[in-house]
Amino acid sequence: MPRQEDLLAAFIEFADTFVDDYDVVEFLHRLAARCVELVDASEAGIMLADVDGRLRYVASSSERMRLIELYELQHDEGPCLDAYHGGASVHCGLTDDADTRWPRFAPHARDVGFASVSAVPLRLRTEIIGALNLFSPTPGPLNSEDQMVAQALADVATIGILQERALRDSHIVTSQLEGALESRIVIEQAKGIVAERAHVSIDAAFTLLRGFARSHNRLLSQTAHDVIDGTLTTETLSQPARSRPT
Amino acid sequence: MVRRLEPKRFAEVVAARTEGDGDPVHALCLACTDVLGLTGAGLMLMSAERSLACVGVSDHVTEMVEQVEYTVGEGPCVAAFRIAAPVLDADLADDGIVEWPEFRRGALAAGVCAAFGFPLVVGRLCIGALNLYHDRSGALTDDQFADALVVAQSVSRTLLAWQADAPQGTVAWQLERAPNHRVEVHQATGRISVQAGIALADALVLLRAYAFSHDLPIGEAAADVAAGRLRFD
Repeated sequence: MPRQEDLLAAFIEFADTFVDDYDVVEFLHRLAARCVELVDASEAGIMLADVDGRLRYVASSSERMRLIELYELQHDEGPCLDAYHGGASVHCGLTDDADTRWPRFAPHARDVGFASVSAVPLRLRTEIIGALNLFSPTPGPLNSEDQMVAQALADVATIGILQERALRDSHIVTSQLEGALESRIVIEQAKGIVAERAHVSIDAAFTLLRGFARSHNRLLSQTAHDVIDGTLTTETLSQPARSRPT
Repeated sequence: MVRRLEPKRFAEVVAARTEGDGDPVHALCLACTDVLGLTGAGLMLMSAERSLACVGVSDHVTEMVEQVEYTVGEGPCVAAFRIAAPVLDADLADDGIVEWPEFRRGALAAGVCAAFGFPLVVGRLCIGALNLYHDRSGALTDDQFADALVVAQSVSRTLLAWQADAPQGTVAWQLERAPNHRVEVHQATGRISVQAGIALADALVLLRAYAFSHDLPIGEAAADVAAGRLRFD
């Protein structure tokens, strides 16, 4: 059981992360490193489900952990997959029972030096988005205090992942709004340029721009851009409109 | 114990203001003045590339002040966007302050004595500013300042939620309701760039300078360009 101050410091550190943009993979690597300090485990790793619901390796406290997580994924068996698919935590020693449960994973994990494994699902209400793995050379499952800490760290990971997704979504919307506002400005400016160059009204200038965009299968905003940067001359712009029957 | 505005409470005030009024941005601006106890609120959306667009105001005076800020291209709200932090000018008549003199002159003439810009921030990005005005000079109280931060956050979220529902490539309909004199300004900018043979950015500067030196709202100067009464050959 870690000292309370250490736990508190870790949670404050992660809460600070969430107020601004952050790299979610870097955050999860940091979280994995903290897990090892706070829980009686030598290695920690995190797997996340992709859009098709398949688990993928994301972060770990060491290269050894990364390799064994990949081993789990390759052979499609192990505590992380069970926690993800079953939606419940797994805490157990790598005993004969484990060999029955994971005939390939359990002997392999023992070979590389582990004696017990834990896996906690990353869960938000009914949705499970991945799992946190904790492996240890100490025989026997995690004690109940460490299990609680592992659950709390899994919850922090979940919040961090979802927060980053929300932030990313809002950035997409922001840039769409900016793009839409910009393209409107560009179109108005192009109208003014065409009206002035061709000595026509604003409405007639707009008709020219729209006609050219339609007949050349281009976006209106792109056509406006071309007028502004000079690649589209007023003469070229006027041609298709003239040749079309009115 | 510090009293703190709950985003939920702000949403209720917005809803109450929306009932009697069909324009959602207008309702949003009125709700800002309600909860903060100020006389005016306006919303500007901006991009780093190209100037600003006023998308809504609470009242006529604010409309005039927003026009001034747009014409001169400076002021606490533009500054708030640039530095992504609140910019407070509690006394526009205070001679000791040398920033945005043209904005101050115009705002005072419109009847505004204090102006406060709060950035609309989403993550690391700043999308515009919430502009708050008062008809008396004086600093915001600590509560007003704290509440304004909450309001700006709620407003950012609301704008994003509207935009999230808008079809790709378009601006959310809620943000299109405000009477838009900027359309004429952009058209005039295009015309001036041809007349004077200069870049668009310079053309806008020229139009702004003309409007300012002739004490005209930029929309009127733009209308003169559109009508051919004003040329920059």
